[in-house]
Amino acid sequence: MRPILLQGHERSLTQIKFSHDGDLIFSTAKDQVACVWFYANGERLGTYHGHQGALWTVDVDATTTLLATGAADNTARLWDVKSGKCLKTWEFPTAVKRVEFSDDGTQLLAVTEKRMGYLGTIAVFDIKVDVEAEQSDTPRMTITCEESKATVAGWSYLGKYIIAGHEDGSISQYDSKTGEQLLNVLVHESDMQVNDLQWAPDRTYFISASKDKTAKLISARDLQILKTYPTDTPLNSACITPKKDFVILGGGQAAMDVTTTSSRQGKFEARFYHKVFEDEIGRVRGHFGPLNTVAVHPKGQGYASGGEDGYVRVHHFDKPYFDFMYEVEREHARR
Amino acid sequence: EDQYELDSANFAIVEHRRRILDEWLAWRASVEEELRADRKEEGLPETPKEDAADADADAGEGAFVE
Repeated sequence: MRPILLQGHERSLTQIKFSHDGDLIFSTAKDQVACVWFYANGERLGTYHGHQGALWTVDVDATTTLLATGAADNTARLWDVKSGKCLKTWEFPTAVKRVEFSDDGTQLLAVTEKRMGYLGTIAVFDIKVDVEAEQSDTPRMTITCEESKATVAGWSYLGKYIIAGHEDGSISQYDSKTGEQLLNVLVHESDMQVNDLQWAPDRTYFISASKDKTAKLISARDLQILKTYPTDTPLNSACITPKKDFVILGGGQAAMDVTTTSSRQGKFEARFYHKVFEDEIGRVRGHFGPLNTVAVHPKGQGYASGGEDGYVRVHHFDKPYFDFMYEVEREHARR
Repeated sequence: EDQYELDSANFAIVEHRRRILDEWLAWRASVEEELRADRKEEGLPETPKEDAADADADAGEGAFVE
């Protein structure tokens, strides 16, 4: 499983997203430029210029027409994927930490940072999936996070719920039409920030990654904790692999938080766990700093990780990966 | 006797995993059923079009090619 190194970013990576068909990889970093790459060979296809601050987040709609980004310059932007043109800029009083399209692409949420005088919010925009269309200037709805700011958020199956992870380690479920909070569950250790939230393919469940060194598999409908993956390092990111029942976790302690600087001590590895049995299966080394983001190919053919070291590493899974099975899984396959 | 203990320990692990896998599959089946009902309620086809197409493509693909 020899990785492809994507070189182009000059600062640490913040988020990676695959296009719906898996052909393209979108990445954001603190260097103010979003990039798009070919998954197959790692060649850079283009860049998206315009933000005036570190980029925190990126998403692409299911038809690979529109790209959304959020940044430290207090704006969220919408781009034409093909031409690289900025189609819309929304201004906020604070930084935009997370953006995500609903599964049909007709809605976009933006998570805004909390700062003196401003509570964290989740702003929801109606979107026309058309590069020629005029997009709305103002959000359809804004959810204010009174208790604890949201750090990440996303849309459940059928756009039914907005699910958010918070700074205090809890996860919330909101009615996506009214913005009413339906549930709030302390899923991770108290005051251990939720750093990532990524969906299963049908968006009926998701994985959360936390500073508390665990990732959890959670049901979108009732926020029930289905599985727990304990590690020995704070986690920044986690994703669920299609095809195989694995999850991939990424994290690591920042250099300033550890006394020694060897990469082993920092635990800069992507960790594979069995999704159902919760066992650790393997690790992939390579980064020289914490993994800030991991993303899996939508058809489960490979994955990409983005590091504090400024690199994106793309791995195409090989045959042993697909062949690996627990005895009971083999038994089940034979049934 | 050691071998016997080892075998029974392994047997216990396998039994445990079998139970965990069955529970997971049962949960997935119930969630998929609920999702189909929700989709019907919203006037959507029971399974998304592209998923059906993907399933067809996968069926034809056969063995994994490196």
